[in-house]
Amino acid sequence: MSEINIIEKKQIPQGATMLFGFPDVGLVGVIAASHLMEELNLAEVAYMDSKLLPPLIVLHNGLPHSSIRIFGNHNILLAVSEMPLAADVIYPVIDALIDWGKAKKVKMMVSLSGIPIQDRQDAKELKVFAAASTPEMLKMVQDKGIEALLEGYLVGPQAIMLMRCAQIGLPAMTLLAQCFVNYPDPEAAAEVLKGLAKVTGIKVDIAKLLEKGEEIRLKARDVMKRTQEEMSKMKKTQEYDIPVYVS
Amino acid sequence: MVIKRKRSVMDLFDDYFDDLEKEFERRRERLLERPSWNQKASTMEPLRDMIVTPTEVVVTVDLPLTKEKTVQVKPLDEDTLEISAEMKRKMTFKEMGITHHKGEFQRLHCHSRIPVPVKMDKMKISLKKGILEVHLPRKRRS
Repeated sequence: MSEINIIEKKQIPQGATMLFGFPDVGLVGVIAASHLMEELNLAEVAYMDSKLLPPLIVLHNGLPHSSIRIFGNHNILLAVSEMPLAADVIYPVIDALIDWGKAKKVKMMVSLSGIPIQDRQDAKELKVFAAASTPEMLKMVQDKGIEALLEGYLVGPQAIMLMRCAQIGLPAMTLLAQCFVNYPDPEAAAEVLKGLAKVTGIKVDIAKLLEKGEEIRLKARDVMKRTQEEMSKMKKTQEYDIPVYVS
Repeated sequence: MVIKRKRSVMDLFDDYFDDLEKEFERRRERLLERPSWNQKASTMEPLRDMIVTPTEVVVTVDLPLTKEKTVQVKPLDEDTLEISAEMKRKMTFKEMGITHHKGEFQRLHCHSRIPVPVKMDKMKISLKKGILEVHLPRKRRS
């Protein structure tokens, strides 16, 4: 028996777009994923079962659920985690999700996340950047008006997702909205969803998300705090580092 | 037969410092492990951050859903700030999806310890997009 199992609860569509929303800077991916689930009325179609995960379950309406679940409809699969992943389980968890997605013949994988900027509270506009698993995907993203993140470091689940997809030749990208590093950032989540609409055509109304922004920031404090702890352990601040390439 | 390798003094030092580091980590985690709310005081603890530069300490606090005019920043002593703000509306546990606790929250409240000597009387504060920014110039070593 493998260390990680993905248990399917419903029939999984083939050829869907698979999205990832994991706790990271500004909780951009989690907030965006939560809004997608609500707006598109996505149902839980599968969940992850593994002893590598912490002994934690999520209770919804008195019933137990895994902290890592996949929601979906006929053309979207959305993998979300309610708690931040510890650095030592990122590789196996992401590998398992990618293998599962590949078996379901997903046409593309997109992770939704953020990239921190200093003095975020002074920013008038938040830019969205992209990195991709293949030159063709990068060109496609740029053609749709998203600026490429050309040089630098990525740390966390979205980094490993992109690398693994590049290794196996699966079309993938990560969309990164400028955001707060340590505070939940619903505005950045709205921007990343705009970017998602540009590159995939998956459109949702973001008005409600912005309207509920302050409430979301208040409710997301605890998950943000746990995420800060994990980000600190995996040296997330390396994303600020200036790279040195030896060629 | 088990052959035991002789351990050098450096190995023993390494072990000692590893143990010390683990103990610090355990203590740090114990301190962090408490609810982010206080039911009796009807307060929630906001998220905060701090940057120490060569000239100043900048404390930021996320104060969503609060009334701007009620934000208070008080030095409690030479190295502690008390920050509080009244919420625009009361928030209940139920609204946050919790049904096994009863209560409501009316204020955000926290203390922030400043790790280096600062001039509390020269404190400058601003609030942008619900983020409180407190600038404290550092005291020069005499």
